[in-house]
Amino acid sequence: MLKKLRSNERMRQLMAGYYMMGHSARNVAWVTSGAPVEILYAMDIYPAYPENHAALIGAAKLGPNYSEYAEKIGFSRDLCSYARCDIGCVLAQSSPIGGLPKPTFLFACNNICNTVVKWYEVLSRIFKVPLFVLDTPFVRKDVKESYIIYVRDQLVEFMDFLEKLTGEKLDDGKLQKTLMMALAGVKAYKNVLLTARNKPSPLTCFDAFINMAPIVCLRGTEYPISFYSEMKSELDERIKNGVAAVDDERIRLLWDNIPIWYQLRWLGEFFASRKACVVADTYTNAWSWMIVKDKSDILGSIAETYIYIYLNVGLERMAEAINDLIDVYDVDGVVIHSNRSCKPYSFGQYELQKMISVPSVVIEADMVDSRAFSQAQIETRLEAFLEMLT
Amino acid sequence: MRVGYFCTFTPKELIEAAGFSPFRILAKESITGIANAHIQSYSCSQARGSLERALRAELQLEGVIFTRSCDTLMRLADIWERNTKMRVYNFEFPTRVDEKSKDFLISEIRDLATTLKLWGGDITLQSLKESIELYKELEKKLEELFSIKPDYELILRVQEMSVKEALKMIKVPQKERDKPKVLITGSVCPFLNVFKLFEEVGFAIKDDLCTGTRFFSFKYPEIDINSIEDGFRYLAEKYLYKAECPTKHYERERRFRRILELSKDCNGVIFLLMKFCDPHFFDYPQLKEELEEMGKKTMLLEIEFPAVSLEQLRTRLEAFYEVISC
Repeated sequence: MLKKLRSNERMRQLMAGYYMMGHSARNVAWVTSGAPVEILYAMDIYPAYPENHAALIGAAKLGPNYSEYAEKIGFSRDLCSYARCDIGCVLAQSSPIGGLPKPTFLFACNNICNTVVKWYEVLSRIFKVPLFVLDTPFVRKDVKESYIIYVRDQLVEFMDFLEKLTGEKLDDGKLQKTLMMALAGVKAYKNVLLTARNKPSPLTCFDAFINMAPIVCLRGTEYPISFYSEMKSELDERIKNGVAAVDDERIRLLWDNIPIWYQLRWLGEFFASRKACVVADTYTNAWSWMIVKDKSDILGSIAETYIYIYLNVGLERMAEAINDLIDVYDVDGVVIHSNRSCKPYSFGQYELQKMISVPSVVIEADMVDSRAFSQAQIETRLEAFLEMLT
Repeated sequence: MRVGYFCTFTPKELIEAAGFSPFRILAKESITGIANAHIQSYSCSQARGSLERALRAELQLEGVIFTRSCDTLMRLADIWERNTKMRVYNFEFPTRVDEKSKDFLISEIRDLATTLKLWGGDITLQSLKESIELYKELEKKLEELFSIKPDYELILRVQEMSVKEALKMIKVPQKERDKPKVLITGSVCPFLNVFKLFEEVGFAIKDDLCTGTRFFSFKYPEIDINSIEDGFRYLAEKYLYKAECPTKHYERERRFRRILELSKDCNGVIFLLMKFCDPHFFDYPQLKEELEEMGKKTMLLEIEFPAVSLEQLRTRLEAFYEVISC
């Protein structure tokens, strides 16, 4: 019943290529999804993404399987399931894609959570490789100049760290070029997401989730630029031919939080069969907001961009961002995934419900650990919510 | 007037020097009700229980300082601000704790002083020097007292009052007869009956808890304080080299090394971890492994409050007592 995009297949090929690349790379960094990867690409360092890897495992419904390896040696089931899954793969020395290439070093930026700092500390003890933590202060209200200086200084230190590690100098021109490519990638990606403004929408958030890996992992290379441009053409074609992602679209929804990877299909079909289209989400949009502004002070701009990441700001700004999405995509209601694995994304959601301009519903689940998912309960809640909206 | 705080990385000296009384916010044993409408059930009982107290208007505080530590407290600040009449301020203690984060910490301390001024508390060179001295005195006394016999009732009480009142409360205890000694490591444990249980079972206790020795374990910098700026620099150094916490990232495994050192004269180590406390649970498996390699017996006690069954806890402690005393 779900309409598949041709892009899904191209994305799979692209990502297969990306994973292959990792096995022949000279220097491999394991990085967090909110880290400034541009610096790594500018130095020809291959970035591997444990979060993306865990999402992939979640989508393959293997989350509990790999988590158990970590749980067996004492990692609590209450810890982040991305972390458990990834640590589990390292311990099991396997994964659906044969594991990630061994890291030369680790790079964790706590602009998405403090969990990544702990998770990467665990990895650095296992692999006995250096860990660089890029510490970004939390911006609950306004960003302070001192925050930018602090992060900028760490970026200088990080470059020094990389130069010593690789024995190569970072070329400013190359960094500049990488940033421009990242920007072009982000714009191409944003244009894909924006096609969902059309009524009916040619795209659901589930299509966006499936196709988000390139902007996360390959940002700063030419791949996302061409991939998302092609994807945009496919979506434009749908619009031109009057093809909707959800037939007879009646309700337009917004998704909050990380997807429930092992239930994408079920959720997609659930909404589609009720003529509801989840047109946008806060998760994929987090990358569409990654825009490096001023070019005169490259490092200062990177610092500011990465401090302002969606999860590193206070509830007022988050509500503003959600309300913007509600306006831009003309959304009727918000489906809020209260994700046991992600405290910074989930705590505050009950407050956000009171701060946003349309009705919302909270469903309790987990992004990768299907043991925390109760289909019957969620179905009942969503049914009631959709009924209220119609 | 009282100013609340959660984390022991909050420079209480500034609060005191500004003329406020620092008040450590901790959960009590009551069941959470109202708080459940504001934060999910997978938050720790320290966060949920503290919010409950605030919502029930049990806390009379001028303002609250949220010091950067874990993801839960980071989000709790906004929830707190939106649902209480208290002022809320975020003190961004660096997560990376090393010499390179010192300048940033100093700027955060400076901004905190400015905020306290806005709240009506003026810091003078004299008031700052005095509070720094008084806290040092209190901390040294507590350290001495804890080295003889820990007193958890006392340490919880002194965290709810001004430093001058706190100093009056210290009495040196009697030395205990020799008993099997355990190191208890974890975050907060504001519940006295847990410690009573340890005593009743027969343990002598040493702790690495943030409501215990981590409240007063510091290395004191050698800086002459001739200006307020000197005072800020002093506090930055004092807190950077404070007893280690898993919410921070240290160079060369500072935290693990400290726990291994602390455990040396103990017969066993008990991880007293609050359910959903991510930073501690992440460290647990590898720290446990290192302790066991050193020949220490370990046990994990996961606590959540209100405690479901203290008797169950007692049974487990008794079993552990058997293991380490034979």
